[in-house]
Amino acid sequence: MTASALVAAVGPLQHAAESFAAATMQLGFGEGLRQFLGPDTLASVVVEGLAKSAIYVMIASGLTLIFGLMGVLNFAHGSLTAIGAYLGGLVMVTFAASASGNVGRIALFFVAIVVVFALLTAFGGAMEVSLIRPLYDRPPLYQILLTFGITLVLEELLRMVLLFYDIQPSTDWLEAQGTRPEIISKTHDVFGLGVEGLEVFQILLGVAITAGVWIFLTRTRYGLYIRAGSEDGEMAQALGVNVHQAFTVVFGVGVGITGVAGALLMWDSAWAASIDLGAEVLLPAFVVVIVGGLGTFRGTVVAGVLVGFVDAFTTELFTSNIVGFSALPELFIFLILVGTLVLRPQGLFGVEEVGGH
Amino acid sequence: MTLLELTDVETYYGESHVLEGVTLSVEEGEVVALVGRNGVGKTTTLRSVLQLTPPREGTVEYRGEELVGLETHEVAERGVGWIPEDRRIFSQLTVAENVRVAVPDGVDTGERVATVYDTFPILEERRDQEAGTLSGGQQQMLALARGLVGENDLLLVDEPSEGLAPQIVADVAEALADAATETTLLLVEQNLPLALDLADRFYVLDKGQVVDDGETADVSADDERLRRYLSA
Repeated sequence: MTASALVAAVGPLQHAAESFAAATMQLGFGEGLRQFLGPDTLASVVVEGLAKSAIYVMIASGLTLIFGLMGVLNFAHGSLTAIGAYLGGLVMVTFAASASGNVGRIALFFVAIVVVFALLTAFGGAMEVSLIRPLYDRPPLYQILLTFGITLVLEELLRMVLLFYDIQPSTDWLEAQGTRPEIISKTHDVFGLGVEGLEVFQILLGVAITAGVWIFLTRTRYGLYIRAGSEDGEMAQALGVNVHQAFTVVFGVGVGITGVAGALLMWDSAWAASIDLGAEVLLPAFVVVIVGGLGTFRGTVVAGVLVGFVDAFTTELFTSNIVGFSALPELFIFLILVGTLVLRPQGLFGVEEVGGH
Repeated sequence: MTLLELTDVETYYGESHVLEGVTLSVEEGEVVALVGRNGVGKTTTLRSVLQLTPPREGTVEYRGEELVGLETHEVAERGVGWIPEDRRIFSQLTVAENVRVAVPDGVDTGERVATVYDTFPILEERRDQEAGTLSGGQQQMLALARGLVGENDLLLVDEPSEGLAPQIVADVAEALADAATETTLLLVEQNLPLALDLADRFYVLDKGQVVDDGETADVSADDERLRRYLSA
């Protein structure tokens, strides 16, 4: 290893050590812990944990549907989320003036997610038929390279369109965030507890989408075909199931849900619509999918909740009250991933061998 | 009336030439046994009918319609059912879901499923159980139920007695005999007494070719005519 390479390798570690050494004891350990364990703080952390869980489940749902049922690892997932965020923002920004008031804005948002879902489902279906399907009989590396290539193309196309319309692609699209209705923007007093409207909205939408996917998979005939086809595609075909069509629907719906998650993140200043959203979403989505068990929707829901709560608790613990060290919450999320891979490589609900098609 | 007719079928796995000009036919209402040693192409013949492994040459006609070129689900939609060699039940679905998935679209699922549960009461008892947790015999019953619930006109049955205890084999034989009263069967079976007992006619396959055929009434399981092709 050359000296410069050594310095480059040690640099981040040194920076982390300095940050940790500089970590401030904001309130003193005892006082901070007392505040952290107080009912108000705990309650707000639980609400935040639920909101983060909803986000993590939503951003991972599309990925897990597509991988679990089709065996395709979709690396274009992140950029499709970003496109969903911009499409949702476009609808909101374009029609916000004609939709005033809380009810009008929320109704417009639901119109936006219907538009995003419809457009991205159609795009996902077309992508499966034209690009993914010819590669089913090839090793998974082909699909990974293809979807990685798609993400590069989509990002650059998105960047060109944004620059053409004079929207900065690398910074948050604040105009879209500004379309939030007042009821979602402000903090509400619930039994003396400050609850952010956006968090409640994220929780409700997350529950609705999770329930919708769950019902689709377990209570509809098409869901039954999809689950059968994902376990043994050949057998399902021999029973009359058009597995190709089922996979097109799954890919389309998976991409559609991904886009809806993006539309929701567009309103959240912690994420927001930007090209970088693609990369920001991709990593936690993979963490949730791997921790839950590749391809199990139930596992994704449980892992999303787990990661969401760990994120919320560690954020409160390490950035607000006791120690100011902002990298720790993210570190804990990846510790969950490492722990899972060491102790249970197939994930919480995964099976060791996944049926192919 | 001829239900299924294979003519000069040539099927390959990659470069491996498995079926070398197989010609056979199945009349409506009869049970035809396809016998032969392991690896001679019996399962491949069934897969060629289903278009799971489409023939490169030759024709596969069902009710006079060419099946080569169709998708497998289109073959199934025409009334061709399959009970595969290794059962291939959907282990992560419940017993009830395994049965339901085989009922064609637009058909009264409840009525069909009830009929099958009458034939296999053990499956109704375990309807909410994950199919992967069933015993081998119960899984075979489920595979049979799944084949029968579609009310197909032709059932391709592959080694239904393989790996089963004698009592279960007797149950399977009884279920197949019942099925044969309503459905045409093309049966691949290593258990020669069972095959000859169920079938009206037989074809002997060796090295990817039909080397003998006839009425089962004319042969017995220890007949030299069959033994030379079937003994290891």
